[in-house]
Amino acid sequence: MVNKKRLYWTLQITGWLGYVLLQIVFYNFSNETGIPLRRIFFFTFEGLICLGITHLFRHYVNNWKWLNLSVPKMMMRVLPTIFLLAIIIYFLRVPFSIWLNIVSVQRLAFEPQQIMVGSMFYFIMMFGWSLFYFTYHYIARYNKSLKYEASMIEIELNNLKNQLNPHFIFNALNSIRALVDENPNKSKQAINHLSNILRNSLTFEKKGLTKFDDELKIVKDYLSLESIRFEERLKTELDVDPNSSRFLVPPFMIQTLVENGIKHGISRLTQGGTIHLKTLVDKNRLKIQIRNSGQLINGARKGKFEGTGIKNTTQRLKLLYGDEASFKMINENNNFVLTEVIIPQSI
Amino acid sequence: MKALIIDDERLARKELMKLLEEHPSIEIVGEAMNADEAIQMVNDLNPDLLFLDIQMPGKTGFQLLEELDAVPFVVFTTAYDEFALKAFEVNALDYLLKPIQAERLSETISKILEKEKNKATAVRNADKKLGLNDQVFVKDGDRCWFVSLSNVRLFESDGNYIKVYFDNNRPMIHKSLNALDEKLDERAFFRASRKHIINLSWVEGIEQWFNGGLMVKLKGGDKVEVSRRQAAKFKDMMSL
Repeated sequence: MVNKKRLYWTLQITGWLGYVLLQIVFYNFSNETGIPLRRIFFFTFEGLICLGITHLFRHYVNNWKWLNLSVPKMMMRVLPTIFLLAIIIYFLRVPFSIWLNIVSVQRLAFEPQQIMVGSMFYFIMMFGWSLFYFTYHYIARYNKSLKYEASMIEIELNNLKNQLNPHFIFNALNSIRALVDENPNKSKQAINHLSNILRNSLTFEKKGLTKFDDELKIVKDYLSLESIRFEERLKTELDVDPNSSRFLVPPFMIQTLVENGIKHGISRLTQGGTIHLKTLVDKNRLKIQIRNSGQLINGARKGKFEGTGIKNTTQRLKLLYGDEASFKMINENNNFVLTEVIIPQSI
Repeated sequence: MKALIIDDERLARKELMKLLEEHPSIEIVGEAMNADEAIQMVNDLNPDLLFLDIQMPGKTGFQLLEELDAVPFVVFTTAYDEFALKAFEVNALDYLLKPIQAERLSETISKILEKEKNKATAVRNADKKLGLNDQVFVKDGDRCWFVSLSNVRLFESDGNYIKVYFDNNRPMIHKSLNALDEKLDERAFFRASRKHIINLSWVEGIEQWFNGGLMVKLKGGDKVEVSRRQAAKFKDMMSL
């Protein structure tokens, strides 16, 4: 990752230094007598003034967020501004040109014609600088949106692989088949639960968020099916804050975390265990806490394909909420693992 | 054939039992919920066939097999597990996917019954020692085998492990040679030295060696030294 600040300063310094050197060399070769020292100083000060003014310009462009405007609106603000800045540069230069005797007659510096010519020159320079600056940012932003799209596609693929968790589905089908004789009603209910989950996973939207209540339904369907499989070995507890309904959540995220808890925690214990889902609403943020019997070993769960569910979750959170969402997974005590996701209220 | 069903899910066991009703040649002698229960039952009931779920809490199916001395025929079951499926394919193991299809089950059972017929019938040792007729489960990294002891020509100790010589393979198992020695039938397997146990049916040639010991040549080329201490016993065994 290129350090943006470093890049900016490198470009500024080399750019203006180049400009100064170019001026010096040009003057040197176009004058038989070579270049006097004061000229060198003059060019240097000029370069420094330009550096300072462009830096200031950039500062205000960022502050006023002109990069976020459409191009026409942006130009409407930038053009007059750099025109003004050009004039300012010219007048900042005047004291130096006088001090270093660049101008033979002081009055000349204030002639309208001189002012016009000088300012025009700086206007063109400022224009060139702005062109470069804004173009760079537009390209960087386009790049970022491409990366974002690429990530989203990758997540989509991951999700597709994760959602239709074949292990869960075939185990569920096996249990349902067994129930057909033993408890036909229960097997019908189970088929409904499974059908609901499959339907939801098929209509999964790319960047979508889903209502908390819908996600909770998915989680309940999932837990019903797992209860059939594990029977007395799985105890479930739900403790849902009624205010949670206000929130939108990424679809299948809570389900994935619950499944993770069962897969890596409870299904590994011969006596089984408990899965506990709790939600809290705290100042416009939704806290989702999943506790499952089991322990994290060495900070991670053992398993061949562990991690993809969690990685997927953290990726989605970052993309949807940036730094506003948080995720953590720790051993809460000797018997339980706590997975906590905190998400802000969506826009 | 006596069979044991090992699966942590009651409904899965029930399903399989139902399917096996169509196969009178298979008699279910027990059901186990996890590896520890299973080990107990295998030792008590001596089944000829195991239906073994690969994903169980606690110990996995593979770990269970490694803890058994002699292993019967095994058919693995799984709903879906990429890793396990790969292992089954690579090692040519018999497996069934849940929900189990009746036809697939029939095919597998026919295969097993065929294998059973081809196994040389021998009297089971009263003292339950492992003989040439028994097979063991050997796992080394990603590879695993069911090896008939008649094919194992040599056991060689290597630190805390034992190298098992059969065909062109020498996988390592995590066991002590002394412990293995006690379990093997001494009429079939001989402790040649501190480091080696040899399969007597693979002995091809014997010659005198230093220090009153012997150098035994096995079919296939391996040469094993018999220590002086064991040499006398060896001569007795081979009735020289």
